[in-house]
Amino acid sequence: MRLLTFNKIICLSILFILTQHIVFSQNKLTLSGNVTDATTGEKLVGVSVIIKEINGGSTTNLDGYYSIKLAAGTYNLTYSYIGYQKTTQTINLKKNLEVDIALEQATDELEEVEILAEDENSSIDVQNIEMSVNKLDIKVIKKLPALMGEVDVVKSLQFLPGVSSVGEGSSGFNVRGGSVGQNLVLMDQAPLYNSSHMLGFFSVFNPDAVEDVKLYKGGIPADYGGRLSSVLDVNLKEGNLEKTEVNGGVGVIFSRLAVETPIVKNKGSVLVAARRSYIDGLTALFDDDFEGFGLNFYDVTLKSNYKIGKKSTIYLSGFLGKDNFGFAEDGGFSWGNKTGTLRWNYKFNDRFQANISAVLSNYEYQLSFEEDEENTYDWTSSITNYKIKPDFNYFISENSELSFGVEGNYYNFEPSTTYGTNDGEFIDTSLDRKYASESAAYLSHQFKIFDAIEVKYGLRVSNFRLIGPGSAAFYNDTIPGLRKTVVEEKSYNSGETIASYTTPEPRLAIKVGLNSNESIKMSYNRMAQYIHFISNSTASNPLNIWTPSSNNLKPTVGDQFALGYFKAFNHKENDYEFSAEVFYKKSENEVDYINGAELLGNEYLEGELLSGLGRSYGLELYLQKKTGTFTGWVSYTLSRSELKVDGINNGDWYLSRYDQLHNLKVVGSYKFNGRWTITSDFAFATGTPTTFPNQKYISQGIVIPYNSEDARNNVRLSPYHRLDLSLRMEGKTHKNNGKKRKVKDYWVFSIYNVYAHQNAFSIYFTQSDYRVSTGQVLGTEAHKVSIIGTMVPSFSYNFNF
Amino acid sequence: MISKQILDKAKTYFSLSLITLVLLACDDEITVDTGSSTPILNIDAWVNDKSEEQYIYLTTTQDYFDDELPPVVSGAEVTITDSEQNTFTFTEDTDSDEGAYVWVPDSTTSNLVVEGRTYTLSVIVDGEEFTSTSTAGRVPQVDSISIYLEVKEGRMKDEYIAEFWAVDPVGTGDTYWIKTYKNGTLLTKPSELNIAYDASKNSGGLDGVTFISNVREGINANETDDDGFRSSPLTFLDSIYVEINSLTEASFSYMSEVITQTNKDGGISELLTSSALANVSCNIYSTSENGSVVVGFFNVSTTSGLGKKFRTVSDLSP
Repeated sequence: MRLLTFNKIICLSILFILTQHIVFSQNKLTLSGNVTDATTGEKLVGVSVIIKEINGGSTTNLDGYYSIKLAAGTYNLTYSYIGYQKTTQTINLKKNLEVDIALEQATDELEEVEILAEDENSSIDVQNIEMSVNKLDIKVIKKLPALMGEVDVVKSLQFLPGVSSVGEGSSGFNVRGGSVGQNLVLMDQAPLYNSSHMLGFFSVFNPDAVEDVKLYKGGIPADYGGRLSSVLDVNLKEGNLEKTEVNGGVGVIFSRLAVETPIVKNKGSVLVAARRSYIDGLTALFDDDFEGFGLNFYDVTLKSNYKIGKKSTIYLSGFLGKDNFGFAEDGGFSWGNKTGTLRWNYKFNDRFQANISAVLSNYEYQLSFEEDEENTYDWTSSITNYKIKPDFNYFISENSELSFGVEGNYYNFEPSTTYGTNDGEFIDTSLDRKYASESAAYLSHQFKIFDAIEVKYGLRVSNFRLIGPGSAAFYNDTIPGLRKTVVEEKSYNSGETIASYTTPEPRLAIKVGLNSNESIKMSYNRMAQYIHFISNSTASNPLNIWTPSSNNLKPTVGDQFALGYFKAFNHKENDYEFSAEVFYKKSENEVDYINGAELLGNEYLEGELLSGLGRSYGLELYLQKKTGTFTGWVSYTLSRSELKVDGINNGDWYLSRYDQLHNLKVVGSYKFNGRWTITSDFAFATGTPTTFPNQKYISQGIVIPYNSEDARNNVRLSPYHRLDLSLRMEGKTHKNNGKKRKVKDYWVFSIYNVYAHQNAFSIYFTQSDYRVSTGQVLGTEAHKVSIIGTMVPSFSYNFNF
Repeated sequence: MISKQILDKAKTYFSLSLITLVLLACDDEITVDTGSSTPILNIDAWVNDKSEEQYIYLTTTQDYFDDELPPVVSGAEVTITDSEQNTFTFTEDTDSDEGAYVWVPDSTTSNLVVEGRTYTLSVIVDGEEFTSTSTAGRVPQVDSISIYLEVKEGRMKDEYIAEFWAVDPVGTGDTYWIKTYKNGTLLTKPSELNIAYDASKNSGGLDGVTFISNVREGINANETDDDGFRSSPLTFLDSIYVEINSLTEASFSYMSEVITQTNKDGGISELLTSSALANVSCNIYSTSENGSVVVGFFNVSTTSGLGKKFRTVSDLSP
């Protein structure tokens, strides 16, 4: 099947537009405009625009822009957004009208209301066609108790239904039974190939530079693709357009500083945010042994935007982050991401707009090590991704919106570049780089059939090519589970196609409104993943590599169905929201590994890989109290995640390492006067599966653990549970002499794992006696490892001026 | 591939660099119930070309936390036949509590294993035959052993460490287990298992050159003092004997799997290295259809070795 060409997509779109125009656009006028922050001039994303007369409305898009088609008449508009004062306006619509609104930030006195609510408008989740989507505002994230007191975007996701992790310190997250490498993590459209600092204790997102975070677990729109499980879309914050603003914080592990300033007032601004850890300093202080160690991480995040005329805005964002573990004498280890995004937003008219993005993303790790002058080693591995993505949005009418676009990716994989000297001789055992392209075209159309029924259907067609120079290895057939050996190799010249795959990916979402406060939604999506995250350890780590699909390694393709019920209600003058969703997911060509697989620096990596089926299903319940002095939510997930791979577990279905039958999260926040807020969260999850031996035997004096069933993940670790607490104290707003303080500041005191529960990360088995003399028994023992085995108190001081 | 060389180092980096978090992590011995299962035959058959008694051990598997010696298997017929049709019979050593069957060299045959020959193992237990084959590879000579004083910084103690020197023969696919005997005792901690694929730790790497440094230094004992802190692998008057044993590709993979399954550092390193527990491979099969499952491995090795006694400071290399 051939990839749809860009021209065909354009033709198709025009056809759609024309037909839609005829059906829907008679006698309708367009009401559109931009919503901004009144003090900073920043565009506000996701602001609810509600029109009382039609009992409906819209939300502002990524550019703070909204557009609604209405019949002529008089309307009452309400603009609302968390942390801002609600603004109401009456308009008389006689012709197409642009209404730009600047929302005032809620003052401290008015902020009394919700703390953890994600949206002031109680019914927007019910009315929106999206399902299986969680949006977290950075203000919410900042209220959650965090490990070492450091607010973390990825860790906060763990409190949402359908999201889990294999344990503390592990990088990434698992969505609806998918692996860590099946999440598309985007920072202003740039994919990140490792989103962690310090293994997995912190994520690379600087909270001072993040505007909001949106996680798609299902019903994934057609403009996203390339990963099987989810899309985490992190939007960076736009700098203040009016005046210079400084945000910062000092914590136990690192300090942060962010400066935002207008370049040209009300036209362009820039935000630069940086963080650096100082564990190296601390350890050196405590212990002389660690002098000479350079262990630190830092990151710098940039976002700038500039408005050209009325129609164009240019955005430039970038990220540079690095973890360094250096040893003064014999080498070092570092890893980090570099990304850059250039986006051009152009409004052709009030109904048609384009976003054209050019993106670069690179992840690289380096290890070097010097035994002595005669024996040195260097090892580098990386992945580089270039991406071009033009997207178009056409508001056909109030009831109909079309989006379409194309995406082109070029990948450069550097599996391992290794060289050095061995006993004075130069050695080079580097592996060849691999090159690939991934392109896609999509079209998506959202429309209302009747008032109550809304449909969004779309198609994404993606194509992947592994390109020369390179070679294709052909492997023998062997007993599943054993290492495959190469029988033939074929080499390809530059530009030649080594392997190619095309996948049509249909997407569908339907919303049926039962009334203004209740709806039922369903969705279906097919996703294709062409680049694979290779990791066979329990938790992923910075050394894990990405490898492309090839003649041997097929793309992972999965289907997901979801059905949900959404309700908003009011009880004793407080707003609540409830949702229940069920999902079923199945996939093929999931990757697993032979026993004893060599995954790093292996030219014939594919001989170590196994392929199989995956399935997961579950129920997610979510209840949120959105307003009042006490706010919070309860999230519960009942789910199962399984794999079936020839060569593992006798070819039968087995639980994935991240399967959790029950996963309960409770978050509550109480504001007990103007300055103090206490937030607490509790997490409970079924222990993740692991494999125990039931027997042992001796081979050459070594005790070998043996599982007579040849089973995988046959037992579970003990249940995980943890309670965290945090107390936030706002700084005084006024000086003693009654003058208003210029600096807004607050302290956060937190305790992670309050009752010091030693949650098991893993259980391992080992022999307890060594080198015994003849006739003595070689003992065995089991060990439980807890990554955070104690209570962790911490504090941070944060300021803004 | 030298990546393994660096990876070993990386693990040390990680454990050290995460020192703050190491303080938070904990690793405790626990009691778990791993259940019980029917024992099966374990054939531990590793023979070499040394002109000395060769042993094959027949025992059964036992429940994981059994605190007894593995049950021995008596009354088996054990033979090895080489590609020249010589048969070597192993007789049960009834005094052994390890299930040993022994072959004793005599005036006509002083060495069981000869380089290049293929050997077939036959073990008959209760009328069921189990067989396997293995081919004897080649080994280079150990040219020399050096001992160095490694001066450590801070609180870590200075160490005397040894390094052997040998050159892998040209031609890929030579695999070795470099065994070390310290004061006559074979080092068998999982962390002391030192294997090589050509001149480096795994395939696709260096060939026909001096062994890479982590192989050369892999002969050092992993010693700890009474408090569990690392102590010097060598002290004055220690003797060390380095013996290169040839492996087959299959037994090299087997040893790699054994290392993965048994060499556990515990603690925070679990974050980096823990992977699913899995059974290691086995190259011995029943000859009957739907025969019994066994565990164990058969390997024949040629060997070369060199010893050194650490008497005085004058034995130290610069």
